[in-house]
Amino acid sequence: MRHLATWSILGLTLTFLIGPFLIIILAGASATDYLAFPPEGLTLKWYLKVFTVESFRASFALSMALAIFGTFMALLLGVPAAYALNRYDLPGAETLRTIVAAPIIVPGIIVGLALLRYMVVPTGVTVTLALFMAHTALVLPYAVRVVSSSMTNLRADMEEAAVLLGCSRLQAFTKVVLPNIRGGVLAAFILGFVTSFNQVPVSLFLSGPGVRTLPIDMLAYMEITFDPSVAALSALLAFMSLAIVFTAERLLGFSRYV
Amino acid sequence: MFRNTREGLALALPAAIFSTLLFLVPVGILLSEAFRSGGSWSLQGYIDFFSTPLNRTVFLRTLKLGVLVAGTAAVIGYAAAFCIVNLGPKSRGKVFGMVVLPLMISPVARTYAWIVILGRTGIVNEAITGLGLSDTPLRLLFTETAVFLGLLQLFLPLMIISLVSAMENIPRDVIPAARVLGASWIAVFFKVILPLTKEGLVIGGTLVFTGALTAYITPAILGGSKVLMLETLLYQRVNVSNDFVSASVIAMILIVMSFSANLLLKRIATARS
Amino acid sequence: MKTTLSLLALASAFGTAAHAEDKTLTISVYSFAQDEYKEALYDPFEAICGCDLVVETGNSVERMAKIEANAADPVIDMAVISTQDALALARKGLIQPLDGAKLSNFDKLYDSAKDPIGDHMAVGYTFYASSIVYRSDLVDIQSWGDLLGEDLAGQVALPNITTTQGPLTLMMLGKAEGVEGDLSPVISEIGAHSDDIVTFFSRSSELVQLMNQQEVIAAPVGRFAWGSFRDAGLPFAWAEPEEGQAGGMNVMVMTKGNGNEELAYQFMDYWLSTEVQTKIGEMLIDSPANKEVELSAEAAENLTYGADVIESLNIMPAAEVLDKREGWVEQWNAEVIQ
Repeated sequence: MRHLATWSILGLTLTFLIGPFLIIILAGASATDYLAFPPEGLTLKWYLKVFTVESFRASFALSMALAIFGTFMALLLGVPAAYALNRYDLPGAETLRTIVAAPIIVPGIIVGLALLRYMVVPTGVTVTLALFMAHTALVLPYAVRVVSSSMTNLRADMEEAAVLLGCSRLQAFTKVVLPNIRGGVLAAFILGFVTSFNQVPVSLFLSGPGVRTLPIDMLAYMEITFDPSVAALSALLAFMSLAIVFTAERLLGFSRYV
Repeated sequence: MFRNTREGLALALPAAIFSTLLFLVPVGILLSEAFRSGGSWSLQGYIDFFSTPLNRTVFLRTLKLGVLVAGTAAVIGYAAAFCIVNLGPKSRGKVFGMVVLPLMISPVARTYAWIVILGRTGIVNEAITGLGLSDTPLRLLFTETAVFLGLLQLFLPLMIISLVSAMENIPRDVIPAARVLGASWIAVFFKVILPLTKEGLVIGGTLVFTGALTAYITPAILGGSKVLMLETLLYQRVNVSNDFVSASVIAMILIVMSFSANLLLKRIATARS
Repeated sequence: MKTTLSLLALASAFGTAAHAEDKTLTISVYSFAQDEYKEALYDPFEAICGCDLVVETGNSVERMAKIEANAADPVIDMAVISTQDALALARKGLIQPLDGAKLSNFDKLYDSAKDPIGDHMAVGYTFYASSIVYRSDLVDIQSWGDLLGEDLAGQVALPNITTTQGPLTLMMLGKAEGVEGDLSPVISEIGAHSDDIVTFFSRSSELVQLMNQQEVIAAPVGRFAWGSFRDAGLPFAWAEPEEGQAGGMNVMVMTKGNGNEELAYQFMDYWLSTEVQTKIGEMLIDSPANKEVELSAEAAENLTYGADVIESLNIMPAAEVLDKREGWVEQWNAEVIQ
């Protein structure tokens, strides 16, 4: 009985969440020149077309680089901050928390515009660098919040005990804290990666000659045609991400930490 | 809690400085334009904004949809998260992976899927006419319902992830213990689960509400110009009229709305415990 | 003709080869048919000028914003945009006048393309007609006024006021209803029918989708989008309303103080050449603004082609759109989408 209830709740939720994805996969294989579901005739031509669109390749590489390095940078800044905010009695901790969390609640379009008008134009930094910084700033709140949340219920006395037993503070952090928040860090990385990879409004104004993120490129593509290749590309990207999550699960036992 | 403040600050400050310099400063300058009118400080931008009926409608619609999406996500989120946490380790990883999956898909494509689903000849309408609920297909696209569904689908995973991650910290025997002692499920939820997951709810609620507020693509594609929300209105102000004052006013309103939501959720969470 | 041009091209290639090695020209264009432009225009031009062509694409709003944001140190050397966007840039002092004498193909243009927005700030490179695409098996369209008629209630889409097609639709609806000059009664009329209109779209690609899934059975579109409907397999037709077709033009502009004028002129001239305009026309991408272009019957059928057609288009002056748009948008916001 409880099993039935559990699985019906999960089944409905997952249908709602995954259904559109299945539709995208199939619609990407429709032989029509527009998106159709159920697909009318099946073809792989849109899936193949994705690889022949030159701009998709360049923008994919840029988005990948931004998502990986931006998220890595955000974790480098965010994990120590989350640790400090949880473990130290800091003056102005709330202010710090708010500052770090700020990028999440500012509408992306304003961020992009602000960075273009007050950073790229006056200082002459390249658009790519501006994108990198914007993406790092955007991922930072996720890094801090998710890692923080996984740290909240981790008892500080374990770490204190480790220190009393002769560990240095750094050792205590790497041996006691880090293994316990590994799931949180990984979750933050995946969340950050995805946020960055799919970010649209911020990157809308931050594009330069030959520099354009993948979602912006997909949007630009859709301004010309709604042909199913964007659906096909989305499906391929989702499979790529699925492979990442699957690997994370296999190698690190992701689900134990979430 | 460690007492060494200097050490703590050294760890926390790089993030704060980065965020301030690369984010708050440029955005702050842009936002200050909302208080500028003819070279002097003024609230005229706000007065003008709220004196326009369309703007008020859009503001209220955005608030309404934000609350509805966050509220619905919380209800579904708790149910789903509770089920996930209680699964065996194997299925738990798989189910969690499936929850995360939609986040991996570009919002462009996820929104675009709804165009097909909610269309006159889409599966929802086929079901409705097939079941005899309506003789003619319903117009679902370009309505608040479409935007609501699109936003919910977009942000529900964030709520579930936050809640799962908070719930895993509830000690395993607490809930069975409460049940054995005769607590009803409702009591268990309000007395045990909610207090122990409030952090997750605050994070999830803020993420979903803010996400719904500041999403651009979903209201743009599923609502179009008939269901404007603040973000699409803002885009229109920048785009059509190059009106940075209005855009800054809207941005300011969005920011205030998200901050208030965050504070309110925190307040509620602390009040309950 | 072609030989002369190729010789000219060859000569200019040799002439500039010595200095051309590090030259880069950055252009800003609609993100549309880029593969075809690359084949017909960009690649041959790069071979001729010995320079690198950097192509920026996007919708006009983003591209305009970028030109404005980089006004002090232009990244974009030349751009192709709509007449009203060109006029907006001209009024902000972001573009410079063009010297027809520096364009060897200037005299071959239709007269209306030579100085479409005044002060020689732009030259037209393509025309487009705008009419109504409809499902000929379900409805019949005789007039622009049919858009608000009972047959289409609940199944018609109109372009948003903020798009290029929006004001054109207002103008033609006004013509159908006998409204001259002030178009505000037309907006009120649309407002009264707001519930009958499925959506106010901003991209024709979106409309292709909506019409194919039968959400919408009639809507005004530009001729450049006709191909996507014609090939879709459903019985779509291009209306020939009694009020005629609306029309517009896209133009080339040069950003002010870009320091790359010589190359930009060379590129514009090449684009306006009979050879390139013919090639792009035959690919069904852009209708020619060069009146010496001779198209095959098939291309002519799909494009806005020929002096008769071009002279009969109802074109709205760029200044009218630019000056009145804000008022229209305000009224639209209050009465149509409220």
